Amino acid sequence: MRSSGASIDTEVLVIGSGAGGAATASTLAAGGRDVTVVEEGPWIDPDAVEPFSLEEMATKYRHRGLAAALGNPAIAFAEGRCVGGSTEINSGLYHRLPETLAESWGKEYAIDEFNARTLDTYAQRIEAELTVSRLPGAPPPSSALLERGATKLGWQAVEYERVFRYDAAGRGVKQTMTRTLLPRAMKAGAKVIPNCRVRRLVRRDGRVIAVRGRRTVNGATEDLTIRADHVFVCAGAIQTPALLQRSGIRAGIGSGLKVHPMIKIAARFPHPLDHGGVPMQVITEFGPNLSIGGSASRRGQIAMALADATSDYRHALEDWEHVSVYYAAIRSEGRGRVVAVPGLRAPVVTYRLTEGDMSRLARGLVHLGEVLLASGATELYPSVADGPIVRGPEGLAAWWDAVTRNRTNLMTVHLTSSVRMGEDRSRTGADSFGRVWGIENLRVGDASLVPDAPGVNPQGTIMAIAARNSDQFLSAT
Amino acid sequence: MLWLEREVVASLVSPELDDEGRSVVERYVDESLQSMPDHLRAGVAAESLVFGAWPRLQDALGRYDRRSMDARVERWKTSRFDPVRQYVRLIQSLVVFAEHELAPGMTR
Repeated sequence: MRSSGASIDTEVLVIGSGAGGAATASTLAAGGRDVTVVEEGPWIDPDAVEPFSLEEMATKYRHRGLAAALGNPAIAFAEGRCVGGSTEINSGLYHRLPETLAESWGKEYAIDEFNARTLDTYAQRIEAELTVSRLPGAPPPSSALLERGATKLGWQAVEYERVFRYDAAGRGVKQTMTRTLLPRAMKAGAKVIPNCRVRRLVRRDGRVIAVRGRRTVNGATEDLTIRADHVFVCAGAIQTPALLQRSGIRAGIGSGLKVHPMIKIAARFPHPLDHGGVPMQVITEFGPNLSIGGSASRRGQIAMALADATSDYRHALEDWEHVSVYYAAIRSEGRGRVVAVPGLRAPVVTYRLTEGDMSRLARGLVHLGEVLLASGATELYPSVADGPIVRGPEGLAAWWDAVTRNRTNLMTVHLTSSVRMGEDRSRTGADSFGRVWGIENLRVGDASLVPDAPGVNPQGTIMAIAARNSDQFLSAT
Repeated sequence: MLWLEREVVASLVSPELDDEGRSVVERYVDESLQSMPDHLRAGVAAESLVFGAWPRLQDALGRYDRRSMDARVERWKTSRFDPVRQYVRLIQSLVVFAEHELAPGMTR
């Protein structure tokens, strides 16, 4: 059933409710503005589905996690599509933007008032609001073994903080946006409308005058028109440029996409491992251009990782409780593009890895193999088709030649930089505070603004930038 | 699912799964393919039609058998032609994930 339409008037409309949208909505609502948040996906209680499960993929992921950037090789990627966005499905690892990157981006993209000190101020605020902490006790075996291997090799490894709150018994609860900033925004008067897909922005005389969407309520759909004085698009690095392009805004939009490509190993150990969470130890010896850590390792994910390497994986899978999945992620030199094609609901995403990227991925795979063997792994299955299974350090050299464009299977969960911010109009889509060039009342507030791949989990960077830009908006309007 | 997709799933699914388990896996693969972005689904569907043309013809002529399809899928897994390898990899990923998340106990 579909009704002809409803309309809403609001002072500020925030499109998207993930890390950027929630930080924006919370800051603006606390600042006394009349805020409405629309989210394409449903509101799902964070305790309703098991983390990293197939049910979670079906209910909280866009396309059930089956999206890919076209290229040679293609890169599979995942985005959240629910209230809270990707904060509802990620591992909760948290990291501030490295100081050197903040300083160099500020200069390279001519971003006003963008430096490590300013961003740290906002990061502190976000960390206090969310609760960012380290594990109160000893790390689980899947995480501890990374540290053990790094110590043997003389490499630096750190325990990343996580957006988790722990009770007295040490039980952790991930502080997603539906548990933290969205309820806070609602308490300050913001309204959140789930199941509402924004189709396009209507413009006149350099302003957005209305937003056209469609929402579903109790199985019935209706067209929705929202009139807002100010619009913040916070739909993530893929959906934000796609919406802007669908609305006829194209200059500097969608062309600079950056990702952290990840190559993986399923590692078998002589002892059983934990499989409920994601390791929080990260090897930073080669950072920020290369980082090594652990991935979700439920039985299904282990099966997929083993099958990536060889057809003959079933004997290893019988021993799946002794297997866990680890990754090496790089800061890529390559670039991608997001293009909204008329008639297609989802944008076409492409990404071109450079030869340097391929070389870094091979190096990452070998280093990952080294540390896993040093930590006691007995068999390594790389995410390379027919990639040789390695059982000792002497076998790792073969991987240098195995990581080729037509054999390597890559994925990413970090996507940024598709509407870069800064004063250099030739390289950016928005100004230093996220205002889209040429549109007076339209701003972007998500991962799209981050000028380059940060080399660390980007949630902290996204939220600090969104809070900074929201504060600037409050003081300027 | 298209004809070839169904046949590839049948080749990849564990022989130890019972009929109910196979049905669960097949349904999951079908739903997942339908959830893909339109342009990616269209590409996979085009590959299914192209790669499936010869086996489909064999089927029409009564010369198709499961073992030859199983052998073909094994060759495709390590094909030097990237689209063929990626085609099988996609379906295999869905099959093994579903087998171990949805149907781990459904064995014969």
